[in-house]
Amino acid sequence: MILRPLLLLAGITLILAPISAAPSILRGPYLQSATPDSIVIRWRTDTTEGSVVSYGTERGQLTKVAKADGVSAEHIVQLSGLQPSTTYYYSVGAAPLAPPAPGKAVAEDAPGRPSTYSFTTPPPVGTVKPTRIWVLGDPGTKGDIQRAVRDAYYAFTGKRATDLWLLLGDNAYPEGTDADYQKAIFEMYPVTLRTSPVWPALGNHDGRSANSATQSGVYYDIFTLPTRGQAGGVMSGTEAYYSFDYANIHFICLDSHDSGRNPDGAMMQWLKADLAATTRDWIIAFFHHPPYTKGTHDSDKDSDSTGRMNDMRGIFLPVLEQGGVDLVLTGHSHVYERSPLINGHYGKSPTFDAAKHVLQKGSGREGGDGAYRKKRGRIPNAGEVSVVTGSAGHAGSKPPPLNHPVFYIAMNEAGSSVIDVDGLRLDLTFITDKGEKKDWFTMIKE
Amino acid sequence: MRWWKLLTLLVLASAASQAHPEIEAGLTRLNAALAADPRNPDLLLERGELYARHEDWLHAEANYLAAAEITPRHAGIARARGSLALAQNRPADALNHLNEAKALDPADSFVRILRARALRKLGRIDEAGNEYDRVLDRLRSPSPDLFLERAALLPPTEALTVLETALRRLGPVPALELRALAVEETLGRVDAALARLDRLSAGAERKETWLRRRGDLLLRAGREKEARAAYAAALAALAALPDWLRDSPELLNLTKELATLSRSTPSSPP
Repeated sequence: MILRPLLLLAGITLILAPISAAPSILRGPYLQSATPDSIVIRWRTDTTEGSVVSYGTERGQLTKVAKADGVSAEHIVQLSGLQPSTTYYYSVGAAPLAPPAPGKAVAEDAPGRPSTYSFTTPPPVGTVKPTRIWVLGDPGTKGDIQRAVRDAYYAFTGKRATDLWLLLGDNAYPEGTDADYQKAIFEMYPVTLRTSPVWPALGNHDGRSANSATQSGVYYDIFTLPTRGQAGGVMSGTEAYYSFDYANIHFICLDSHDSGRNPDGAMMQWLKADLAATTRDWIIAFFHHPPYTKGTHDSDKDSDSTGRMNDMRGIFLPVLEQGGVDLVLTGHSHVYERSPLINGHYGKSPTFDAAKHVLQKGSGREGGDGAYRKKRGRIPNAGEVSVVTGSAGHAGSKPPPLNHPVFYIAMNEAGSSVIDVDGLRLDLTFITDKGEKKDWFTMIKE
Repeated sequence: MRWWKLLTLLVLASAASQAHPEIEAGLTRLNAALAADPRNPDLLLERGELYARHEDWLHAEANYLAAAEITPRHAGIARARGSLALAQNRPADALNHLNEAKALDPADSFVRILRARALRKLGRIDEAGNEYDRVLDRLRSPSPDLFLERAALLPPTEALTVLETALRRLGPVPALELRALAVEETLGRVDAALARLDRLSAGAERKETWLRRRGDLLLRAGREKEARAAYAAALAALAALPDWLRDSPELLNLTKELATLSRSTPSSPP
């Protein structure tokens, strides 16, 4: 009599064993440090195991394999020798995918088969390619507004692929812990994470669980960023600040929170060398603390953010403008504020002189005041547009003043920004959490 | 005055003041938590750190003090107090707190960095140097700034050794190479400085500024013929740039300057 229940139990155990033994992916996969011929794929599992990526250019034919040594629950695998502008399909796991039998297709939903994802490598550096960039400032609130901002962008972009996305800091509230990142980033943007490389900046909330001097903590554990100039630009020697190229765009990420901001410090010397080295058509700089804002922070107050906004305006902005930067993207202030084409304003807001500091006034909109126009080339102080887009997680809880004179437009609205670059034309659009297009402008190089 | 009286006065004063939105949100949360658990040192520490991030030193100190009275031996509180004292340019006080923090948590590398900075400010250069050395040995990826801080404490030859170590560990980071280059020039080792410039130039997509520096360095060293050659090479590098990049006003000016310099160099560099 006792034998039948025991056999039943044994049977159930045998059936369940492969399921319970299979490690599950807790995080990712997510894409890092993409270049025209390489990419880093990361993911986390609930148990330690091998780190293997099976990949190929045809879905169902993932015959190439890249792996990392040893076993880990944090998997970091670099794929090298890729072709530019090429779509690759991939799956991650502890072992390579078994190759399909000759002449037989393998159903992607076959039992036990891991999911297949895809990414497209960047084009050769310097070439022209229509490029879509999603910009999220201060997104990581984990709440309904963050979700609404995300969904509004997804509706806006539709089937148009996101080539890369930028996080402007305060990516995971309130403390930038691993658990905060799990909810605010990995569970919020799983699809975008596995199809488009993400390039982050460190914010003050991320800085509560990370340290730039020691290159340690959650932010530095989670992201794999180029320290040796391997994605374009000059090597920085640190993940705190770095640069990379995508098509004809050069991106510069600064650490406005936790790295030395001295005029003769390592970050500044690197920035100068990096600006002098690039030959890309566009330079986009991004960091957390805005040079100008009258949103939920006030760039006129010395004590606000311990002077970091002053430093970025007074020390770094002159070098960026002198180096020919076109667009400065920041967050920190949970609003949207956007300047016209400006140059040379490094003091507090009362010192702003439109006659002196605005190189081209108006909306920058075709059909309106006309696009902002710059001469092609690395011309110092030819003007930049400064954008505070720090409301991807929430807008200001109280109506902020929004009266900084440098800005053409400012609003207390949750949303994210979308940049489209096509050759010598750059468009930026601000999409609110309700899907409304509340601001846009065009910059053209001639 | 007992700490809790001071704290009460300060909290009342802060409630009346116009706080920053981020402080307001954080304070609301922390004040509520502290109302339920008023002797929680971690909450007091967190509230102190919130104030410190916004340079409200007085409130920060009051919260740290309250936390320290409840838990006298707490590494986080000692570290926060040390950091605060350092930010306020009180290195002796900072060192006291950081010594305590180090004793309580010897594995905290950032405490050692802060301690090295406090020692440096106190003029205890050898001890600061030793602390920097220990932390640099311990860290897997120290920031370039830490190596620059360490090198700045040393005479030129020893500084070069530190910078060489940094370059081996991190790669040819421009900030480190340039500092090493300046030290080499100070020591009169022009060829070694030139070798560093050549390394920077070799890794750069655009070489004209590095070649210009090469010319300037050679000119300062009195090697005019080589300087002219370097300026000519910079001109050639400029000529190789695409038209749209070369024709900017800045580079047109540089071209004119280099053309003059490559023909006849002045007795002193520009």
